[in-house]
Amino acid sequence: MIAGRGRQRIKPPRRGLHGGTDIDFEDTWGTIASAFREIHTKNASRLSYEELYRHAYKIVLKKKGDELYKRVSEFEHDWLRNEVRGSIQALFSPSLLANTQSLGGKTTNERRVAGEKFLKGLKQAWGDHQVCMSMLADVLMYMDRVYCQDQRVPSIYTAAMVLFRDDILNSPTSDDDGRVVLGLLNHVILNQIQMERDGEVIDKHLIKSCVYMLESLYDDEMEAEEQRLYTMSFEQAYLDTSRDFYRKEAEDQLRESDAGSYCRKARRRIYEEEERCKSTLLESTAPKIQKVVEDELIKSRIRELVDMDSGVRFMIDNDRLDELNLIFDLNARVDDKKAELTRALQKRIVDMGTDINDAAITASQAPAAAPASEAGDKGKAPVQEKSQNQQTVAAIKWVEDVLQLKDKFDTIWKVSFDEDQPLQTALTRSFADFINSTTFPRSSEYISLFIDENMKKGIKGKTETEVDLVLDKAIILLRYIQDKDLFERYYKKHLCRRLLMNKSISNDVEKHMISKMKIELGNNFTTKLESMFKDMTISEELTAGFKKHVAGLGEKDPKRIELAISVLTSMTWPLETMGSGDEEESKRQQCNFPPAIDRIKRGFEKFYNEKHSGRKLTWLAHMGSADLKATFPKVPQKDGTFKERRHDLNVPTYSMVILLLFNEVPAGTRLTFEEIQAETNIPHNDLVRNLQSLAVAPKTRILVKEPMTKDVKATDRFSFNEGFQGKTIKIKVGLVAAGNKVENDRERRETEKKNDDSRAFCIEAAVVRIMKQRKELSHQQLVIETLNQLVAQFKPEVPMIKKRIESLIEREYLERIEDTKVDSYRYLA
Amino acid sequence: MVLRKHEIEAALATEAQAISSGRLKEDNPLDLSDDFRVFCEACRRNDLKLCQEMISKGVNVNARDRYDYTPLILASLCGHFEVIQLLLENGALCERDTFQGERCLYNALNDRIRNLLLSYDYSKSSSPLQPLAAHITSLLTRPTPKTSDITLATYDQDFNLHKFILTARSPYFAKKLAAAPDISSFKLPHSVPAQSLAVALQYLYFQEVSLRTATFGLSDEEELIVLNGIDKISRTLEIPRLFENITEVSDRRLLRQLRTEELERGRDQLDSWFQENVVKHKMVVDSDKVDNVQWDRDNSIYADILLRADEESDEYELNRSNEYTIASGVSTPRASTIRNTLGPLNGIPVGPMKSRSPSRHRGLRKSILYPAHRAMLLRSEYFFTMFASSFKEAQETPHLQIVTLDCSPAVLETMLTFMYTEHADFGLDVAIDVLFAADQLFIEKLKQRAAMIISTLGNGSTSTVESENPRGETDPDEVIDIYEVLRAGWDTRVQRLEEFAARYMAQRLEHFIDDPEFATIVKESAKRVKERQETDTVELVDDIRYYLSERFRLRFEDSGLDEMMDEALQENNEVPLEAMEKLGLGEKDVPDIEAQLAAGAVRTLDGEIAGDEFAQDAINYQILLGKIDKLLEDLNLDA
Repeated sequence: MIAGRGRQRIKPPRRGLHGGTDIDFEDTWGTIASAFREIHTKNASRLSYEELYRHAYKIVLKKKGDELYKRVSEFEHDWLRNEVRGSIQALFSPSLLANTQSLGGKTTNERRVAGEKFLKGLKQAWGDHQVCMSMLADVLMYMDRVYCQDQRVPSIYTAAMVLFRDDILNSPTSDDDGRVVLGLLNHVILNQIQMERDGEVIDKHLIKSCVYMLESLYDDEMEAEEQRLYTMSFEQAYLDTSRDFYRKEAEDQLRESDAGSYCRKARRRIYEEEERCKSTLLESTAPKIQKVVEDELIKSRIRELVDMDSGVRFMIDNDRLDELNLIFDLNARVDDKKAELTRALQKRIVDMGTDINDAAITASQAPAAAPASEAGDKGKAPVQEKSQNQQTVAAIKWVEDVLQLKDKFDTIWKVSFDEDQPLQTALTRSFADFINSTTFPRSSEYISLFIDENMKKGIKGKTETEVDLVLDKAIILLRYIQDKDLFERYYKKHLCRRLLMNKSISNDVEKHMISKMKIELGNNFTTKLESMFKDMTISEELTAGFKKHVAGLGEKDPKRIELAISVLTSMTWPLETMGSGDEEESKRQQCNFPPAIDRIKRGFEKFYNEKHSGRKLTWLAHMGSADLKATFPKVPQKDGTFKERRHDLNVPTYSMVILLLFNEVPAGTRLTFEEIQAETNIPHNDLVRNLQSLAVAPKTRILVKEPMTKDVKATDRFSFNEGFQGKTIKIKVGLVAAGNKVENDRERRETEKKNDDSRAFCIEAAVVRIMKQRKELSHQQLVIETLNQLVAQFKPEVPMIKKRIESLIEREYLERIEDTKVDSYRYLA
Repeated sequence: MVLRKHEIEAALATEAQAISSGRLKEDNPLDLSDDFRVFCEACRRNDLKLCQEMISKGVNVNARDRYDYTPLILASLCGHFEVIQLLLENGALCERDTFQGERCLYNALNDRIRNLLLSYDYSKSSSPLQPLAAHITSLLTRPTPKTSDITLATYDQDFNLHKFILTARSPYFAKKLAAAPDISSFKLPHSVPAQSLAVALQYLYFQEVSLRTATFGLSDEEELIVLNGIDKISRTLEIPRLFENITEVSDRRLLRQLRTEELERGRDQLDSWFQENVVKHKMVVDSDKVDNVQWDRDNSIYADILLRADEESDEYELNRSNEYTIASGVSTPRASTIRNTLGPLNGIPVGPMKSRSPSRHRGLRKSILYPAHRAMLLRSEYFFTMFASSFKEAQETPHLQIVTLDCSPAVLETMLTFMYTEHADFGLDVAIDVLFAADQLFIEKLKQRAAMIISTLGNGSTSTVESENPRGETDPDEVIDIYEVLRAGWDTRVQRLEEFAARYMAQRLEHFIDDPEFATIVKESAKRVKERQETDTVELVDDIRYYLSERFRLRFEDSGLDEMMDEALQENNEVPLEAMEKLGLGEKDVPDIEAQLAAGAVRTLDGEIAGDEFAQDAINYQILLGKIDKLLEDLNLDA
C-alpha cells in the first residue's frame, strides 16, 4: 500500500459513484418516498439503511440537495395533513369542544376522561412523528451535514417538527371551527391541572409528555430559547389561570380560616405547585408559578394576614411557635427584609414593653401618691420609706419583666425565625426603643438598682453559675441602654454605697460584674469603677498602717478609739450624691467632733500627710459610722426589771457626735435642737435626719424628744433615754433613707442636671478632639462626627452640641470661617 | 519560568543518566542511516513529497542526526509550515521542558510556526493513536447499539465485552475462545475481585488506568485484595505488562513514553489480528450470488457483519489471485429459497443493482465480502447511525447481514484498516476514492489523511509545489487531473485540496491558462461563490493570484532583491500593455515558447527576449495576471 516514488497517478473517482452517468432524480426520489411511507406505517425493519442512505447521498452529491429537501418537506406536509390530522380530529368529542366555552353541564369525570383521550391521541401522534422523523433524519444524514449546513437551513428533523406545529397544532379543531388544536390542548391541560388542585387524580405522565412536546417546538423559525411553544402559548395561560385561582382562594381562605391554617394551606400550595412543575409540567416554570402563588397568597395578603385577629399578635401571645415559623417562612419567600413580620413584631414588642414601663410607673407611683404631698416636708416618714421600697420592688419587677419579654422573643427567634439576622437586629432595635423611650426615663436607674439589689441580697446562696446568669441578664439589658453615662452615674452611686456601707455580699462578684461591663462597654467606662475598688484596698492598708502607727506611739490607752478609714479620691467617687447631698456640698461645714475624736482625726491627718504630701483630706462625717458601747443606768423598766444594760450601738458618725454630747452633760439634761446644732455644727438636714433616727424611730429611741412628734423642729428638746430597752445587745441605728432607693423626682432632676453637665464636658472634649485632627470642618459634619464618637456613651442632643460649639467659640478654641457656603469652623491651636 | 544555565545542565545530566540506566527511553535516538539523512535534507528543503515518502517508509521522525538536529527542528528553523504540520501529524514530538522541544520552539522561524508547535504539545494534544484507544475504551461503557458478544460475570458485576478484542489482546482469551467460540457468557470464580478485573479490562481496552484511581477510597486490606487480584489476573490472562502500566508514574515524559509504547503495542496486536483474521477471511464471490452467502453468527473470528464491495471489472483479473476459499461456518448455497429472508423485499425497488454496473450482465463481476465487527465500524458515524436505527441492518438475523458499500474493495480494505488500526497508508491511485468514501461514511480523520496524501504527493516528480517550480515548467507525463482533485475538494469540502489545486495551477499557470477546461472550472468556482453569498470574488482566481504572487515574489525575496524587482517593473512598465495586445497571439505562441524555453533562451512568455532571469520573471508575472483578467472578462465575471 505504500506509495512508490513518483510512478503513481491520481485516478479520477470511479464513474459509478461520481460524474458520468446521471442518476434519475425522480426515480430515486420515488424509491425514497415509498420507503418513507413504509417508515410511517412502521414497516421500517425491512428497509435497508445502506440503500436509502446511498440514494440520498448521491442526490446531494449531484447538487440536488435543495430539491431533495423540498420534496421531503412536502412529503411530510402531505402526510401530516392527510393522515395524521384526521385521526386527531376524530378525538374531539363534542363534550370536549363544548367545554372550552362553559365548564358546566358535564361531570368532572367525563371531562377528565375526554381530556385524557385527546391528550393520549396527541401524544401518540407526536411520538410517532418523532420516531419517524429521526429515522428519516438518519437516512438523510448526509443531506443534513452537507446541504443543510452549507445552505444554513434547519436540519430536516427540525423542519419536520415545524411542520407538525403548523399542520397539526395550528390546524383548526374541525373544519367549521375557528379554534386551533393548540388552544384546545392548552385548555385541556389547564383543566386537568385544575382538577388536580381540586383533589382529583390525573394522569401526570400523560400531561408531562404533551408538555415536552410543546417544549420542543418553537413559535417562530428562529428557535430562540424564549420562543418555545410551551413558553409562548401554554405557560402564560397557565400562570394567568393560576393567578386567578389563587387570588380567589386567598380571599376565601382569609375570610374563612385563621392565620395559622392559612399559612399551612399557603405552604402546601407552594409545595404542590413545585411538585407539579416537577411531575407534570416543566421545572423551568417552577420559579414563575412560585412567584404567582407567592404574589397572590402571600405578597398581597401578608399585611392582612399579619394583622388578622389570629395574626402575629395572637401567635406571639399564645406562643404559637410553629405558626410563627410558617409566617416567617412565607414572608421570607416574598420579602428578604420580611418587612411586614418585622413591623408586627416590633409593634408588639414596643407595646408589650410600654405595658411593662407603664406597669412599673404605676407600681412606683400608686402607693407613693399619698405621701407625695408630704414629700416636700423635712420629715421622712416610714410611709415614704416604704413607698421607696416599693419603687425598688417596681424597678426589679420591671427588669425581670423586660428580661422575661426578651426571653420570650429570643425563643421565638430561635425556634420560629431560623435565627434570622435582620430580624434579630429588628428585635434589638425594638427593645432599645421602648427601654429608651422618652416617656420612661428610668431604665438606667432601674437596671443599676437591679444589680444593686442582687449584689446586696439577690445573689445570697446562689452558685457561681446562677450568679453569672443574673449578671449576664443585667448586661443584656445594659446593651439596650442608650445613655450609658447615665447608667454609669447611677451605678457609681449605688456601688459607692455598697462599698462604703459594706453592703455588698461578695467582692468577687462585684469585680466580675465590672469585668463584664468592661467587655461590653469598653475600658473607658469602667476605669472609674475600678479605681473605686482600688481606693477601698488602699484604705484598708491605710487603716492597718495607722493602727500600727498608733500602737507604736506608746502605752496602750484604754480609752483609745479605733479608727477605720476610707480615703476616697474625690474625682472618682460620687460623693455629692451620698446622703442628703443636695446642698452646697463644697461648702459643707466641718462638724465639731468631740475632743477624743478630734484628736484621733488629727493624728490620722498627720500620719497621712507623712505618707502623701500635698493631699488634702476632707472629712465626710455624714458618710461614716461608729460603734459605741453604751451603758444605760439602772432605771425601772416597763417590765419591772431593774438593772444596768449594755448595748453595742452602731450609729452614723453624726449620731455618734450627738450621743457623745449627752455624755458631757449631767444626766437628764435636755438639749434643744438649736443647742445641739450649735454644739456640733452638723448641717441642718443631717441633724434632722440623725435626730429622727435616734429619737423617733421606735426601735432605736435612745433619745427622748419633746414633744413626741414625728417631725423635728428647731425648738424640740432632746434628752437621753435612760429607760431605753433593746431586744438585742447589738443595735444598729439606721439612718433614714440611707438605702439605695429610687430617686424622687427632685433627685432625678438633680441627677439629670449633673449628667448634662458632665455630658457637656464630654461633648466639648469630643469636638476639640475632632477639630484638632481636622483643622477645618463644616458644621454638619462636625455634628455627625461628634455623634459618632459619643454613641458608645450616650446619645447627645443636637442643640446641646450646638451650644457646646458656641461655648468653644466663645472661649476661642474654634472660630467660624467667613464666606463659606455652609457653616464651617476652624480649630485655633 | 526560566531555568538557569546550571539548572538546565543538571536537568540534562539527570536525563542522560535516566536514559543510560534504562528508566527513560531516549526520545531522540541518534540515527546515521542514509534514509534519515535524506529525510532531514527533505525537511530542510521543504520537500513535502519526499518527507511523506520517507515517513511512509518508516523513518523515525523523532531521531536526531549527528549534529543533534531532529527533522522538526530543521523544519521549524527553516520555516516550512506544511512540513512541520506533516511531521507533527505523524507523531513528531515537541514537548515543553525537554531539551529538544525547547530547541524547536526557540528556533521557530515565526510565531505562526511557534503556535503550531505549541498546539501539539503532549500535555495538550495526545498521541495519534489516542482516537483509536478512546473508541475502544468507549466500547466498555457504550450501551447502544449493542456490540458486545460475551459477558464476563464476577460475583457482583457483569462486564459486556468483545471477543475479538479479548482475543487480540490476551493470549489466554485467544486460546479459551478458540476452544469454545460460541460461548456467550463466562463466569469467573468468586475469588476474583471485580475491581481487579475492571482494571485488567480497562487495560485491555486501552484505557489509561492508574492504581491510584482504581484503589481510591479503599482500605488497606481491600487494596491488598485488589492488588493480589490484579496480579493473579495478569498472570492468567498473560498480560505481563499490566502492572507496569498501571503503576503510578510521576514523570510526565516517562508516563507519555509508557503510554505511547503501550498504545503502539496494543495497536500492533490489533493490527496483526486484523490482518490474520479479517483480511484473510475476505471472500470473493460472483456479484449476483452474493445474496446467497450465509455466515453463521458464531464464527471463528467473531464477526457480526459482512461488508461488501463490488469490483470493477478491470480490477477483477488483478485480484483473482487473492481469492480465498471460505472456510469456517460459511456456506454458499445457491438455493434461491433463502433469498426471501436476506434479499430486499418485494415492493421496494432495489436501487444499487440497477444503477451500478453496466458490466453486471457479463456475469464476470465479482464482489468481495469482508467480515467485520460492528464495534469497530461504529467509529464511522454512518455505521453508528445505521446500527442504532431500526432499519434492516440493525435487526438480529440468524446469519450475518451483508452491507454493501459503494466503493472498490481496495478502498473498503483501506477504510477497514484505518478503523481497526489507525493505519492510513494508501497509494495515490485510490486516494480520491478513499476521500469520497470517507466523506460518505463520515470518517473525518481518514478524509483528512486522503487529502493530505493527495496534496503532498500529487505534484509528480517536481519535488514541491511552491518553491521549486518558479518558471512553470511542466512534466507532461506526471500531470495529474488537477480539475478532478479540485472538484473532489469542493464536493467533500476539504479546504486543503482547494488550496492545493490553486497552488498547483498557479505554479503551472502558463500550462493551464489557455486550457478551455480551466475556463470551465473558473466558471464553476464562480458559481459556487454565488451559491454561498453574493460577493464578487471568484475564490479560485483569488487563490491562484495569491499563489502566483508568492511564486514570483518569493524568489525575489529569497534573493534579497526586492529593489531589483521594483526596478525591473519600472523598466518594463510598458510590457504588460504590450502583452495585453499580444494576448490574442499568445495561444498560438505557447508551443513555440515552450520550444524556446526548452532551448534555454531567456525569453518572456510573449516571446520577447528579456535582459536576465529576474526581468523575465517580472514580465512573466505581469503577463499571467493580464491573462487572468482577460479570462474573467471573457467569462463575464467581475473580480
